[in-house]
Amino acid sequence: MTDHDDTLTLEERASNRAVYTRRVAWTTALHLLLAGIALTLVLPFIWMVLTSLKELEEVGLESWLPRVFQWSNYREVFHVEGILFGRWYWNSVFVAASVTFLQVLTSSLAAFSFSRLDWPGRDRVFLLYLATMMLPGLVMMIPNYQVMIKLGLVDSYLGLIIPASFSAFGTFLLRQFMMSIPRSLDEAAEIDGASKWQLFWDVILPLARPGLITLGIFTFIGNYHSFFWPLVVLKSTHRYTLPIGLLFFDSSQGQQTNLMMAAITMSVIPMILIFVLLQKQLVKGIQLGAVKG
Amino acid sequence: MSLTARERKKLAVGLAFIGPNIAGFLIFILFPLVFSLAMAFTNWDLRLHNIFKGNDVRFVGLENFVRLFREPDFFQYLGNTLFLMMAIPFSVAGSLFAAILLSQDLRGGDRRVWGGVLACAGLVVGTGALVMVGAKVTAMLLLVGGVAGIVLIGGVVGGRTVHRTLFYFPHFTAGVATFLLWKKLYSPHTGPVNHALRPILTQFAGLVTRLPVGSVRALALFCAALSAAVVLFGVRQLRRGWRDGEIGGLSIALGSVLLFAPVVAWPCCGGSAGAGWVVVATAVVAGGMLWVGIAKPRDFTCTLDRGLGHGLIVCGALMVVQFALLGLGNVFTDLPAMSADGLNPPEWLTQYSWAKPSIMIMGFWAAIGSNNMLLYLAGLSNIPVELYEAADIDGASRVQRFWNVTWPQLAPVTFFILVMAVIHGLQGGFEMARTMTRGGPAGSTTTLSYYVYTQGFETGRLGYASAVAWTLFALVFLVTLFNWKFGNRYTND
Repeated sequence: MTDHDDTLTLEERASNRAVYTRRVAWTTALHLLLAGIALTLVLPFIWMVLTSLKELEEVGLESWLPRVFQWSNYREVFHVEGILFGRWYWNSVFVAASVTFLQVLTSSLAAFSFSRLDWPGRDRVFLLYLATMMLPGLVMMIPNYQVMIKLGLVDSYLGLIIPASFSAFGTFLLRQFMMSIPRSLDEAAEIDGASKWQLFWDVILPLARPGLITLGIFTFIGNYHSFFWPLVVLKSTHRYTLPIGLLFFDSSQGQQTNLMMAAITMSVIPMILIFVLLQKQLVKGIQLGAVKG
Repeated sequence: MSLTARERKKLAVGLAFIGPNIAGFLIFILFPLVFSLAMAFTNWDLRLHNIFKGNDVRFVGLENFVRLFREPDFFQYLGNTLFLMMAIPFSVAGSLFAAILLSQDLRGGDRRVWGGVLACAGLVVGTGALVMVGAKVTAMLLLVGGVAGIVLIGGVVGGRTVHRTLFYFPHFTAGVATFLLWKKLYSPHTGPVNHALRPILTQFAGLVTRLPVGSVRALALFCAALSAAVVLFGVRQLRRGWRDGEIGGLSIALGSVLLFAPVVAWPCCGGSAGAGWVVVATAVVAGGMLWVGIAKPRDFTCTLDRGLGHGLIVCGALMVVQFALLGLGNVFTDLPAMSADGLNPPEWLTQYSWAKPSIMIMGFWAAIGSNNMLLYLAGLSNIPVELYEAADIDGASRVQRFWNVTWPQLAPVTFFILVMAVIHGLQGGFEMARTMTRGGPAGSTTTLSYYVYTQGFETGRLGYASAVAWTLFALVFLVTLFNWKFGNRYTND
C-alpha cells in the first residue's frame, strides 16, 4: 500500500480504505481468538496462585479471590511439620544440575569420538547406541533397580544421578551437531600440532556450544520433572525431590490445599525462569532435535 | 581380529574419549536390557524369593506371557492405554490450529494496520471494563476480565512471542505439579471446574426440558448423520487414492477396517435404535460405494502396501472422530431423561466413566501448545510462499488453500508427530495414574506402564512385570517398524 500518492483516483483510494479496514478487522479478530485461547490455557494457573494466597477455610469456596492475601502461606510451606520443602527444592535443583553437567560431559566426549575419530568398530558401536534409543525406559527400570541394590546406591543421591548421566540420545544429538562442524578445522589444528584432546577442548567444544546448551536445557527440565525413578529409589524423606515431595501435600498433611498450591507455584518457578531466559535456544533445539532425530 | 600398531593406537584414543560414556551405557542400559529379557522368563517374585525364603529363581519358559494373555486385567489396561490415546488426533489438530493462528501476520503487514488493531483492542478492553463495572459483576469476574484485557493488549503489542509463551506454558510446566493442580481443579464438590459448571448445567437442563423431546433426539440423529458423513468422506479419500494409484489393496483393507469399526461397534454399545439405523445404512451405502470404486479398472496401478502409512493415519483419525460423534449422539439421546432430574456435573476423576476423559481433557490442555505446536510452526515457515501465491492466482479460498497446500506440505511433520505420540502414548499414563487416581476407580485409569510399576515395585512380581514390560516394548517396536517402513516416504519428500 502506498501512502500519500496524489495520482490515485478516488475509487482507488476507496478500495485502499476497504482493504485497510478489512485487514484491521481480520487481525483484531485473530487477536481476540488468540487471547481467548491463551486465557483458557492460563486460567488454571491463575486459580493456583489465588488459591495459594487463601486461608484454609476459604479454599473450597466459589470465589477465586482471597479475602485477605495470605502471603505468609509461602513462608509457612517451609515450616510444615513433616514436610521438608526447602530441602526437597534444593535436592531437585542439585540432582538435576549434577545430571545435566555429567550428561553433557560424557555425551560430548562420546560424540567427539563418534564424529571425529576413526577407530575400528566405531560405526557398529554407534548402531548399538541408536538401537537402544527407542527402547522404552520402563523395560530397564526393574533390572536397573537390582543394579542399584548391588551397587549399594538405593536411597542415595548418587543412585539418582549416576544412571541418568549416560544417555544415548544426548550422544546422538551432539554427534549430529559435531558432524556439521567442517572437517578442515581438524586438519588445521593437526598441522598446528594440536593433540586430540586439544582439538576436542579448544576447537570442537566451543563450536558445539549451541548443541551443548540445547542438550543441557532438555536434560535439566527432564530431570527436574523426573518422577518414576526417584519414586522407586528414594526411601528417606530428607532425600526426596520435589515431584515426590509434592505428593505429601496430597496425602498426609490434612489436605492443606492452599499450602499445596503455594508449593506447586514455587516448584514451577525454575521452569518459568528457564523458559523466559532461554526461550530462543529451547525452541530451536526442539525443532532441531525432531528434524534430526 | 588382528590390528596394526597404528590401528591399535587409534582404537585406544577413540575408546579413551568414549570410555566414561560406554561404561555407563554398558552398566545402566545394555546390561539391564539383557537382564530384563532374561527376567521375563523366570518366576522371580520378591514374595517368594527374599532373605527369609530362599527358594531358587527358576526359568519358567513362556509361563509369564501365557499368564499375561489369560489375565483379563491385562486387556482392560491395554484397552485403557488405547482409549487414552484416542485424544491424540484432537491434540494434534489443536496444535496445528494454534500453529496456524500464530503463523499469521499478527501485525497486519504494516504499522498503520497495527495501529488500527491496537486501537480496536483498546476499544474492546475499555468497553468490556465499562460493561463489567456497570453491571457490578463479582470481583472474581472482574479479575478474570482484567487478565483477559492484559493478555489481549499484551498479544497485540508483543506479537507472536507473547502468545507462544502463554500457549507453551502448560506443556512446559507439565509434571507432578500440574497433575496435582488438576486433581484439585477436578475436585467434585470444592473444585472450580464444577463450581463453574453447576450453574451452566442448571440453565441448560431448564432449556432442554422446555424444548420438545423430538428436537433433542434430532440432534442425536444429526450426530449420527455427521458420523455417517465422516465414513463417506473416508470412502471418497480411499477411492480417490485407489484410482490415482496412491493406495494399494492392503491399505484399502486395513483402512476400511478402521473406518468401519465404529459402525460395527455401534449397535453393541447400546446406542439408540434410530441413530443406529442411520449409521448402519450409511455403512452399507459406503461399503457399496467402496466396492464399486475398487472394482472399476483404475488409471494407475501400484504395489499392495502402497500408501499404508497415510491410509492408516487418515482412517485412524476418522475412526476417532466417528467414536466422538457417536458418543455425543448417545449423550443427546439420554439428555431429555437426564435433564428432567436436573443435570449434575460429573465427579471427574472419582467416577468410573469420567476418569479417563478427565485425564484426556487435561492432556489436551497440556498438548495444544506443546513441542508439536513448535514443530508445526517450523514446518509452516518452511512452506514456499510461491505455492500460496499460485493458489491465490487460481482463486483458492482459505479452506482450499489449507487442504491443497498447507496440509500436504505438512504431511512429513504430521507423520513424525503422530508416530512419536503413539509411541509415547503406549508407554504413557504412569504419572497421572500414580499422582491423580492411583489407577482407579476400579482400574479405569491403570495403563500398561502403571501396571508394570504396581506389579514390579509394589507387589514384587519381578518376572511377571518384566514380561509385561517386554510385551509393551513389542507394541512400541511394531510402531517403530511401521515408521521405518513407511516414514521414509515422507521424510524424503
